[in-house]
Amino acid sequence: MKDAVLVIGAGVAGMTAAIELADSNIETVLIDRLPTAGGNALDLYKAFPTDDCFYCFEGSRSRPGIRKCFYRSALIDQPNLHLRTDTEVAEISGSPGSFTVKLTVGPRYVDSRKCILCGLCLELSNAFEQISPQCQPQAVIYRPDLLDDGAKKAESDCPTKAINLNAEPTEETVNITDIVLATGYHEMQPINVDEYSYGKHPNIITQLELAKILDPNGESGGALLRPSDGAQVKNMMMIQCVGSRDENYYAYCSKICCVFALKHAKIVSSERNGIGITVVYMDMRTYDRHERYYRETRDSGVRFLRGRLHLIDPREDGTLDVTVYDSLLNKYLRHNIDLLVLSSALEPPESNDGIIQLLDVQMRSGFIGPSDPFSENEVVAGDHLYVCGSATGPTEVPESVTQARAVVSKILQGRRS
Amino acid sequence: MSEKSDVILCTCGKQLQLDYEILTDRIGKIELAKTVTILDTVCQDDDLEQIAKMIEKNEGRLVIAACTNQKIQPRIDQFLYSKGLDPTRIQYVNIREHSAWVHDDLTEASEKSVAMTRGALARSSTSNTIPTESKDVAGHVTVIGGGIAGIESAISLSGLGYNVTLIEIADELGGHLAKLPMVAPTGKSGTEVLAARLAALKSDSITILTRTKVKYVEGELGRFVVHLVTDAAEEDELHTSAVVLATGFKEFKPTMIDEYQYGKNPDVLTQLELSEMLTEDSLKRPSDGGEVKSVIMVQCVGSRSEDYKRDCSKLCCTFAIDNSLEILKRVPDAQIRIVYMDIRVPFENELIYAESREKGVDYIRGRISMVWSQGNETRVKLYDSLLDQYFELSSDLLVLSCAVLPPDGITELSETLGYAIEDDGHIKELYGKLRRNETRRRGVLAVGAVTRPQFAYEAVTDAQAAALVIHNELQGGRIEKIARGAVLVADDCVGCSLCAQQCPRGVPLMVEETDLENQDDEQKLVFKATIDTLNCHACGVCQSLCPSGATQLNFLTNEQLWAEIDAVLEGAGSDYPITLCFYCEECSVSTIDIVGTRKMKYPASTRLIPVPCSGRVSIVDILKAFESGASAVMLAACETDRCHIAGTGNEIAQVQVDVAQEILNAIGWRGERVGMYRMFSAEPERFTEAINEMVKRAKDFGPTPVHLGTAGKWMEVKE
Ligand SMILES: Cc1cc2nc3c(=O)[nH]c(=O)nc-3n(C[C@H](O)[C@H](O)[C@H](O)COP(=O)(O)OP(=O)(O)OC[C@H]3O[C@@H](n4cnc5c(N)ncnc54)[C@H](O)[C@@H]3O)c2cc1C
Ligand code: SF4
Ligand code: SF4
Ligand code: SF4
Ligand code: SF4
Ligand code: SF4
Repeated sequence: MKDAVLVIGAGVAGMTAAIELADSNIETVLIDRLPTAGGNALDLYKAFPTDDCFYCFEGSRSRPGIRKCFYRSALIDQPNLHLRTDTEVAEISGSPGSFTVKLTVGPRYVDSRKCILCGLCLELSNAFEQISPQCQPQAVIYRPDLLDDGAKKAESDCPTKAINLNAEPTEETVNITDIVLATGYHEMQPINVDEYSYGKHPNIITQLELAKILDPNGESGGALLRPSDGAQVKNMMMIQCVGSRDENYYAYCSKICCVFALKHAKIVSSERNGIGITVVYMDMRTYDRHERYYRETRDSGVRFLRGRLHLIDPREDGTLDVTVYDSLLNKYLRHNIDLLVLSSALEPPESNDGIIQLLDVQMRSGFIGPSDPFSENEVVAGDHLYVCGSATGPTEVPESVTQARAVVSKILQGRRS
Repeated sequence: MSEKSDVILCTCGKQLQLDYEILTDRIGKIELAKTVTILDTVCQDDDLEQIAKMIEKNEGRLVIAACTNQKIQPRIDQFLYSKGLDPTRIQYVNIREHSAWVHDDLTEASEKSVAMTRGALARSSTSNTIPTESKDVAGHVTVIGGGIAGIESAISLSGLGYNVTLIEIADELGGHLAKLPMVAPTGKSGTEVLAARLAALKSDSITILTRTKVKYVEGELGRFVVHLVTDAAEEDELHTSAVVLATGFKEFKPTMIDEYQYGKNPDVLTQLELSEMLTEDSLKRPSDGGEVKSVIMVQCVGSRSEDYKRDCSKLCCTFAIDNSLEILKRVPDAQIRIVYMDIRVPFENELIYAESREKGVDYIRGRISMVWSQGNETRVKLYDSLLDQYFELSSDLLVLSCAVLPPDGITELSETLGYAIEDDGHIKELYGKLRRNETRRRGVLAVGAVTRPQFAYEAVTDAQAAALVIHNELQGGRIEKIARGAVLVADDCVGCSLCAQQCPRGVPLMVEETDLENQDDEQKLVFKATIDTLNCHACGVCQSLCPSGATQLNFLTNEQLWAEIDAVLEGAGSDYPITLCFYCEECSVSTIDIVGTRKMKYPASTRLIPVPCSGRVSIVDILKAFESGASAVMLAACETDRCHIAGTGNEIAQVQVDVAQEILNAIGWRGERVGMYRMFSAEPERFTEAINEMVKRAKDFGPTPVHLGTAGKWMEVKE
């Protein structure tokens, strides 16, 4: 591998950057600490602004311009692209332009190039799983904590001998010219925010959890059911700005939670009939053409209530009595609902701290900021260091993808000069 | 010329529930099958070697029946190319996701697999090899518009090795940014942000033309001609390979909204006018030059309004706060009130919102109902929706946060540049999630505020990204790739220009027939289409529309598709009614693949034929399917407005289906025998529901006139 680039994080931003780099004949190492690529997008069902799936991204140069699903991304079949899942950065040394990076890889229980998804192991043991039909690499993953006899049988019977139950983590050292940080975001678990009782009642969930329930590939086949007892949800409420715009947690606005909340409200109100929805907000931030979601949800009967949550009172029948202060009416109003959805802050992933320690980058509310804030170059995080996607702060997919391309553009420009 | 092909059947590690005896036996008997080989793992190294051997023997005519080609084809192609072999003739059949995994009945699934393999053999029998071709184009790009997006485009493109001409209509570069006293989030003025970039523009590879206007543009990717007019009314031509549009935005001037008195009361200004005042450090009341002690700002003027612009302009909340803070720097005790509906400040801009509140900016949620002058005061009546009260206030300045609108002139340029325009007047992106900078027209990119309201840093990122897209297209001036796409035989072209009008990417060009050029002027001009296959996106829309078969995809000719239709339907009758489904190889293939991966079941009385885009399927193809015995025909396509390959292919397919239905109704068949369904892979049940519906219709409607032997009339009606 010569003059390689390391991309940390294989969400939509990292995948796009890596594929564009590889297509530009640059050796690229794409790592993710999870067992599959895709990042948050794998769990999010449908995406604004196009209301189709989350899984597509730009195809490779052999079919220029045409979009592909994750499962067709050929991430493991593009010769310049070296995907390492279950992998983290252990050490970075050297200097910009010639970094030496030590990676901890694996254990690689299943060789993803060999697995043909024949399904044999899935039948033999619960220790194997296909995370999502769109997962990339298209291979099963193995959970060592669920080891059973079936797993051992699968190891010996696997038609391609893809399984090695005794695999150990390995170390790999790569020489790198540039590093692309695409470590994404994490949806805050509002466990510590007492007033929302999150974690204390099964019918109080976050937007990300709602996305999984609405996903037709999920357990309920897309029906909106109460987590407590599987009963049909009749009334739901969304609370905006949970942990965002709040000095006690994150002072910034998470920027896209208004839009995805309304995206979900739209799916529920127009595709899952007869469910009442109330959205409690301070400012409805549907920028630019996203305003459409605000118009459409208002038109389809979603109620908007400007105010703050005051009190949650669970009832025996699984429903919640929620008292909300309505700042327009200057009144406290009580609602009885089945499901409370918290639009929880998007926060930097914990692992950012480690990376920020290893590299000299500027923080921006815990995310990675530009090295020269006056340049307006949001993707340049330092000398031979780049950042794209939600690693820069909450971003939507289109921005993440555009930023990833900007990074590759910058790297190619850097190599010419 | 029907050539035989070798067939490989994969057992997927002996795990596929198919009767391989039936398969080998029946496929072996098909005339077009030369040999049948069973392999256990086609995608693994040993079997790849095997493929390589077979392909060498038989001029590349090979049919691989395995899992979805979407997964294995890249690997097989890669392997064969690395051995110097040509994989372009290989045809794939998906007997895993599209058959074994979705049908419970072993025999039926095997029958379906045989039929679909027969289809692929037919497609293979006249397949072409697809050569890698190259061409040289000028390494030159034209950027229209010299604001921050245009400037950054020029810098990035020159950084990637291109010569750039940057065209600006005004006297100076810089656009709106030059007028901003403070650019969020940098805390610097617009001129400071621009300074380094203006310096970087001084490069041998960048030519700057100010006071120059683009009149119109001709040509296509790789050879555009830009026609310019300079200030002195001189006309000029510029040869260029790609065009970047960066003509920015225009601020809405609310002269027609009576209640604000804009244009009548000089102390009523727009936010941009206030910015200019602050940049020039001349903050005073325009009416009498008096001090500014109190300011009222009104948000969403002309935005979020059914009467003007429906959407939010995104930037104006941040601008209003920036300007408030700038005023407070100059007049610390100024009284500033901002009247708003929602304050929209993304991410860390929330912090300056908080800062402004701390510094005493007063936020009033409500609307202005009236503005009038009283003596030298500007009086404002406003409704506070939180207090549910009306107030009357005076202020020295009333500042309107006006909508961000598309700039002038983009409709005019779209006529020759061929990009599409969004409802809100901005340039329409090719696909909202992933292809924001590409336009409908190949080789024409759009960056910055011309596409949507954008902060400066977003415009910069746009410009850098678009430079990469162009670089991917132009490859430094030597374009080399597999010439997979439409090939036009000029002699067959009747000059109808349907392809040029309907090609979703504007690839075919109508050119004056050269032979006739020398004839006398009386002669009527004759136009013929030309298609540069290297520019083509390979959707097949032109092919489905071309009345004379002049333009055809080199990997899926009419002959190939018709032979395949006929072959998959061999023996189809009314006792086992068959539904034929054409599916696009974008969203539909993945939806159907995911249905397979999830092992969702549907009837096996279905036959699937891949097409690159649903727009490839013509009325004739649909009618051919009935002629060959289909009881129902279904088109599986991308969602409305989300055609992946090109943008409008699925809408063209819809027209074909609509017309096919009318024809069928007119000749006494049932129009509902044809159906078109939209899908994407996140909702796999869209496919199963659709195909179940079509299978049901095939059953319910009973035998077709073809089955009954009473067909024949429709051939006439079709004419
Ligand atoms: C509920 C919800 C709904 C949304 N809806 C939409 C929508 O409809 N439309 C839209 O455009 N956007 C939406 N978004 C935003 C969208 O999810 C993001 O824009 C996008 O997923 C960001 O991609 P990314 O690649 O930047 O980050 P991520 O998807 O977070 O990917 C980052 C990857 O990096 C890995 N990683 C992190 N740190 C390390 C490390 N140290 N080492 C190795 N790997 C690491 C992670 O495991 C992860 O796989 C939504 C977000 C939420 C929460
Ligand atoms: S048995 Fe082997 S090839 Fe089959 S799914 Fe499991 S790991 Fe993959
Ligand atoms: S986007 Fe909306 S919900 Fe999210 S933090 Fe901002 S205002 Fe609150
Ligand atoms: S994955 Fe496909 S190619 Fe590989 S063994 Fe299975 S069917 Fe054959
Ligand atoms: S940014 Fe603010 S002022 Fe501008 S349209 Fe949107 S909500 Fe209104
Ligand atoms: S195949 Fe499609 S992209 Fe190519 S010229 Fe025809 S219509 Fe245009």
